[in-house]
Amino acid sequence: MKNVKIGVISFEHMHAVSYTKALLELPGVELLGIADEDEFRGTRMAYEFKTRYFKDYHDLLNEAVDGVIICTNNKMHCQVSVDAALKGKHIMVEKPFALTAAEARQMIRAADEAGVRIMNAFPMRFNPNIVAAREMVERGEIGDILSITGINHGKIPSGWFLNKELSGGGGVMDHTVHLADLIRWFTNSEYRSVYCESGDLIHNKQIDDCGIVVAEMESGAFVTIDCSWAHHKNYPIWPQVDMEIIGTKGVLEVKAFGQVNHIVDEVSGIIVDVIWNEGGDEGLVREFVEVCRTGKEPLASGRDGARALEVAVAAYQSTDSHTATMVEHIEFDR
Amino acid sequence: MMEQGDFDVLDVCLPTYLHKEYAIAAMDKGKHVFCEKPIALTMEDGEAMLEAAAANGVKFSVGHVLRFFPSYRQAQEQIETGRLGVPRLIRTTRNQAFPQWSWENWYQDYRKSGGPIMDLVIHDVDWIIRNVGAVERVFAKSFNGTVSGQEHCILLLRLKNGAIAHVEGSWAYPSGSAFHVTYEIVGTKAQIEFDNLSTSPVIKQTCEEGLHKLEAFSPVEGSAEPYCAELNEFVRSIEYNLPLAVTGQEAIEALKVVLAGIQSSQTGQPVSL
Repeated sequence: MKNVKIGVISFEHMHAVSYTKALLELPGVELLGIADEDEFRGTRMAYEFKTRYFKDYHDLLNEAVDGVIICTNNKMHCQVSVDAALKGKHIMVEKPFALTAAEARQMIRAADEAGVRIMNAFPMRFNPNIVAAREMVERGEIGDILSITGINHGKIPSGWFLNKELSGGGGVMDHTVHLADLIRWFTNSEYRSVYCESGDLIHNKQIDDCGIVVAEMESGAFVTIDCSWAHHKNYPIWPQVDMEIIGTKGVLEVKAFGQVNHIVDEVSGIIVDVIWNEGGDEGLVREFVEVCRTGKEPLASGRDGARALEVAVAAYQSTDSHTATMVEHIEFDR
Repeated sequence: MMEQGDFDVLDVCLPTYLHKEYAIAAMDKGKHVFCEKPIALTMEDGEAMLEAAAANGVKFSVGHVLRFFPSYRQAQEQIETGRLGVPRLIRTTRNQAFPQWSWENWYQDYRKSGGPIMDLVIHDVDWIIRNVGAVERVFAKSFNGTVSGQEHCILLLRLKNGAIAHVEGSWAYPSGSAFHVTYEIVGTKAQIEFDNLSTSPVIKQTCEEGLHKLEAFSPVEGSAEPYCAELNEFVRSIEYNLPLAVTGQEAIEALKVVLAGIQSSQTGQPVSL
């Protein structure tokens, strides 16, 4: 079997590190190179991962890579994805998929026209606990889903995440999409309307750090997503992705990062919850490699990414208008 | 009893739709009245009770008992001492199986109980108003009686001071489920979390006729026991003519918010207060 050749474009989003680590664990994969505008960061990562460094991502796209993982800031997702599609590369782009519906549509069209696959990095679809919960739902063990309370509550990131020009927004943009995607996946239903209250309430960084989204699905279920970056810096764990699913026959509660050990370190004074299971990045990267190898339609496709983005976009509209906003669905060209 | 009774205080524990009639009848006889929450199903009824109390010069309070739970008192203290900074993001849950114990099943009848927004999450709404601030806007979702044997509701509150609260109440859990109550309050300086199940110091597990049962207990005895404490406090306020721990006006404020929630759950749009 021929090796699958992968390139990583930018380490601006820190998830690039765990994706690259996961990539190197897989058999039959070659990390062909890393592109990063930031020479210091790029050369350091290339050294760490023992691969080639490219300052300009176009040069990496000119190499014989089968696919690229894009972890730039959010604003760059569209341009880099379209460029990669034009070069015939399969694409996995970090979430949120894009900043706007128009960008999302353009990215998907570019991939479709080039005959490549575009995937959105939704690692929660590969988190073992989430997967187990979805299987129970699919088997009908809790009946029909009536309501879901979702929490993706974390700490506030730094750097470009706090610059709306580059990120498109704060917690609502960064965190809504994970659960928006899982809820679509669990309910097999699309979003009808969205209401949101959000704002810069805790950290005083002039960007939304608290947000709660309430949405109605076409199935009639109502769901909520807490997308806040509210936790303080010494909170014992960073990621929190929880769902409480109310069904007609039962209730299912799942914590994607519930498998932790509680460590109290006398020397550093740190008290921390350490996750001991796979988080989801491993399965996500495995899926992308499989997409590159076979050209199959990915689980967590660009279209899924676009649908989740629609919820975040509607949430900002609702925050401003104080009304429940109908979700505008992107019409894809094919 | 009302005609012949040699008593000072009436504790009204009737279903909500009967509160006004009995409370006012007692007040008109000069009795002090302690009324179970919610105060009433409508603003008109609630205000009539307040007026009757004022007209008869009797004390009137409502059983917003959450304020007397030691676990909630601790959060109140953390806010009051400034340790949390300014509370900004609040999440509360109050989840259980459908109430099976009610007389003539009055909980299931929205005209009598008001449903879970009125009857269940009003506890948390009152606590949030008192300890975090007045409500500006309410958005709510509820089954609203469309699902047989299950009720579930979410209130999203925006407070006048900007804080956001996610308030969840459920009667949708399977029969036999433990009552599950949580809160999380994130302030500008610190956060506090409570979960009644993970902090229950007494857990009992039994197996009868092949059916496993787990029950969680968090014993609070004596004068600290919340249902006892709220009544003691009321009696004390009568005995020494002290200000009430829970005023009728405060109960009306909570009622106004849950009524806005019910309206929002029916129209699909937020309601501004």
